[in-house]
Amino acid sequence: MSDFVVRLLRLDRRIIFLLIALATLLPLLYPVSLPIRVSPEVQRVYDYIEKLPAGSLVLLSMDFEPGGKPELYPMAVALLRHAFQKNLKVLGLTLWPAGAGLAETAFTEVAREKGKEKGVDYVFLGYAPGDASAVISMGQDFHAAFPADYYGTKTADIPLLNKVRSLRDMQYVISLSVGFPGIDTWYVYGKEKYGFELGGGCTAVSAPRFYPLLDTGQINGLLGGLRGAAEYEILLGVKGKAMAGMAAQSATHFVIIFLIVTCNALYFLTGQARGRQR
Amino acid sequence: MSAEVVIGAWVAVGLSLCMYSFLYKDNPFFKFGEHVFVGVSVGYLLTITYYQVMTNKLYIPMTQQGKWWLLVPAFLGLLLLARFIPSIAWLSRISFAFLLGISSGVAIPRQISSFILKQVEGTLKPVVTIGDGGIAWLTLAGLNALLVLIGVVSVLFYFFFSLEHTGTVRRVARVGIYFLMVSFGAAFGYTVMARMSLLIGRFDELMLYASASYGYATPVLLMVMIAGLLWWERGQSQKT
Repeated sequence: MSDFVVRLLRLDRRIIFLLIALATLLPLLYPVSLPIRVSPEVQRVYDYIEKLPAGSLVLLSMDFEPGGKPELYPMAVALLRHAFQKNLKVLGLTLWPAGAGLAETAFTEVAREKGKEKGVDYVFLGYAPGDASAVISMGQDFHAAFPADYYGTKTADIPLLNKVRSLRDMQYVISLSVGFPGIDTWYVYGKEKYGFELGGGCTAVSAPRFYPLLDTGQINGLLGGLRGAAEYEILLGVKGKAMAGMAAQSATHFVIIFLIVTCNALYFLTGQARGRQR
Repeated sequence: MSAEVVIGAWVAVGLSLCMYSFLYKDNPFFKFGEHVFVGVSVGYLLTITYYQVMTNKLYIPMTQQGKWWLLVPAFLGLLLLARFIPSIAWLSRISFAFLLGISSGVAIPRQISSFILKQVEGTLKPVVTIGDGGIAWLTLAGLNALLVLIGVVSVLFYFFFSLEHTGTVRRVARVGIYFLMVSFGAAFGYTVMARMSLLIGRFDELMLYASASYGYATPVLLMVMIAGLLWWERGQSQKT
């Protein structure tokens, strides 16, 4: 028995990789619907958009690159669906150079799905270089910050941007952030000075960093990781990519918790801990 | 399904499998994927920068809107490249000085206001509130404020090295350690969640590309990868 336990403790790490792979794959192949509770921080973003009158300007800054796609792309799609459903006018951009293609795909796909027209219902401005200076520049003169949109059309010729002078004209700004520049850039150099309301979405790994901002009201809501995206999909009543991934998420978490508890229990049972202390 | 989409799917699957092959061990497939990633990232970044920055932010405003003063920042940007020529490398200092001065001036007051003053304000919330109904002693918000206060003070004590950690200071600092442990645990939990989300996202696409409309890209390339790894492994064992 003791030999078996020792062998178990020295298990090849590749077997653990295989267990995790199975825990991810099986729920994706055979979907199980697990209950998901909507957290107040996600509800607040939803409620804020819900209360905006039709025609309000929402700026969606997709500050991520392909590495953040699994968590932030479903958020972007859910937020765009909501905004277009409410007939809000959406301005899109990214502070990350490698994020322009992804962000453009999200805009094009959701706009096509909801029958929205480029330049009238939404504008995609592309990559805004300069991190903080990009936000400051948008705050001072939006057209100077973006002389042309992503497709090369002069912003002065875009009907939706006719009344936009600066960030002060935005009714809501949401940053979907994979790191820096992201939510903090928009808060520090944007909201503090130009006074718009700011919401955020982030990868799970950076979520603990943004909870203090939520607590102090510096951001009005937060979508954290794939779970945040799944909660938003629940509020919209749509089964999207995030909800599909939540069963797999729960299964992998169960495997990890099981392995941590079992390995710790076996470690102490076999007396290795005592041996090490001596 | 158009040919370019199918080819794109095969490339995506192939490179994903190359990267995941590292879980078995370091191998030539992984190295190939790694090098392709670095090359493509730099190429993509250069292209985006050329079109979105050089064209949209510099060339169009200058030529179509007559903003010739943009030559000044463009010149300062070019000076940064002087670093590569030792004899005139000193010229880049002008641009660096400009960047440093502007960045510090803009960032320091904003950062202090956002991340110190606002956070201190958030920490000092009332534990007991007095309203029309009298004093509210045990509210959840009050308990939360008390926990935040104890957490912040005890963790600050832990990082206060001007006093020897003995007696009361030691006890308070120990409470700070517990708060730190809880925060590390929460951060680790979120990290696990994030990494698993990435895996789920990748698996989701690999499953999509396993269908007939993509030419069974995933199963075919998985078989090729396994065969390749076995062949490579055999070659390695023959060498030793």
